[in-house]
Amino acid sequence: MNNDFEPKLLGFLCNWCSYAGADLAGVSRFQYPPNIRVIRVMCSARVDPVYVMKAFLSGVDGVFIGGCHPGECHYVKGNYYARRRAVMLRELLEVIGLEPERLKLEWVSASEGTIFAEVVKDFTQTIRSLGPNPLKSEGI
Amino acid sequence: MGKYNEVVQNIVRGMLRAGLVEEVLAFARGLNESDIVPLFITDQQDVDRIVTISYYPSSLAKLVAEYRDKDKKIGMVVRSCDARAMVELAKRQQLNLENFYLVGIECYGVVKNRDKGHEIYIFSKEMKIDGELKPLDEGILSPNCRRCEYPIPTMADVSCRIEQSGETLVTANTEKGRKILSAANIPIEEGHQSDVTAMKERAARWQDKEFGELKEMESKERLSYWLSQFDKCIKCYGCRNSCPLCYCEDCYLGPERLLIQREEIPPQRLFHITRLIHVGDSCLNCGQCEATCPMEIPISKLYHMLYKELSGIFKYESGLDIDMLPPVSAITDEDLVKPGVDLD
Repeated sequence: MNNDFEPKLLGFLCNWCSYAGADLAGVSRFQYPPNIRVIRVMCSARVDPVYVMKAFLSGVDGVFIGGCHPGECHYVKGNYYARRRAVMLRELLEVIGLEPERLKLEWVSASEGTIFAEVVKDFTQTIRSLGPNPLKSEGI
Repeated sequence: MGKYNEVVQNIVRGMLRAGLVEEVLAFARGLNESDIVPLFITDQQDVDRIVTISYYPSSLAKLVAEYRDKDKKIGMVVRSCDARAMVELAKRQQLNLENFYLVGIECYGVVKNRDKGHEIYIFSKEMKIDGELKPLDEGILSPNCRRCEYPIPTMADVSCRIEQSGETLVTANTEKGRKILSAANIPIEEGHQSDVTAMKERAARWQDKEFGELKEMESKERLSYWLSQFDKCIKCYGCRNSCPLCYCEDCYLGPERLLIQREEIPPQRLFHITRLIHVGDSCLNCGQCEATCPMEIPISKLYHMLYKELSGIFKYESGLDIDMLPPVSAITDEDLVKPGVDLD
């Protein structure tokens, strides 16, 4: 395994929970790896599966989707849709030959700054051990 | 070979005569006798052109959903993949099944390429070419048909089973079906059982073979296999245009949506992956995408493989029940009580 490998992660964070959780992690100065680039979306259900696949095809090593805990969605049911899509996407990744672990969905609430930092730390570690996105060497 | 087509033709004739339907869509002989084309039949005399041979070159469900006026009563002669496509389209509010009278033909596979001038009928273990009965050569079947588990069109109103002798047994599956048969004066053969074990066994064997080969590969190997297949694409949009599930008028993959670059061949891999995302959860394995593809990309194998995985997870079978909504775009009551990030 190449030790110089720094994973590039993309995070889709829901405006009402995970983004606020990430914000809390920031203002509380919890340390987490700087590998994640965050895109704020209004709801985890706003993340079209095509966006996730576009990210992978553009060479991102891992995609993180953050949503509200079940029952806490600002739009009532958005996170349930996100969950079904994530289940589908993980199977899709497996079928076409990417590791399903490269996609992570996690519930992070606005008060869970520590959990956000923890989740990003874990995810970065997982991707680091998986190695770079194999699509990169295939030519994108 | 009038005998093979006769009963189906009589049913169609009866439907038209009784005014149950204004027109009937079926595969029939074209202007050239050896061509088989989808035909909208309004005239009694055209009914004789309907054929039931084991050849099914396009999706009739796609045709009616795209071109027909929404309130017309239409009869259709379909095989089970198309009957299931009708159910899937009705689920997606693309058509109203009340307006359709489906006459299903029991189907044990259709041929990939048809020899013009030859009549071929496929049965569960045999095939009949120009009246001569032979053991079934699975090589001539369409690849999706080898993997198909649905020989009997239970979702159609009437199902017709063509026997090896050419006789046709007819059952009504719905109230509408009984109406059709009484209009056509055809006795209902209640309770004839079709033997589907041979077909199920064949489907399992081919699925194991084709999916097994891919699953055994290292994930990296599998990735380069699919990427090399995608790179053969010439972006003809044939797969999208022939897919009965691709109903959007404003397609994500169109050049005006800027997701896929214009004038780029092969298209970005996102082209195929987007299609896979959109239809993967309820792929009917009708094989129209693969049959259309000029570059012979085994796309129906890819979609069917994802569909099989997802149908296990979501407990979903596409095309059987109109109340069972597509699993990725509809949530159920059980979802609401599950706390985890997985569904189990």
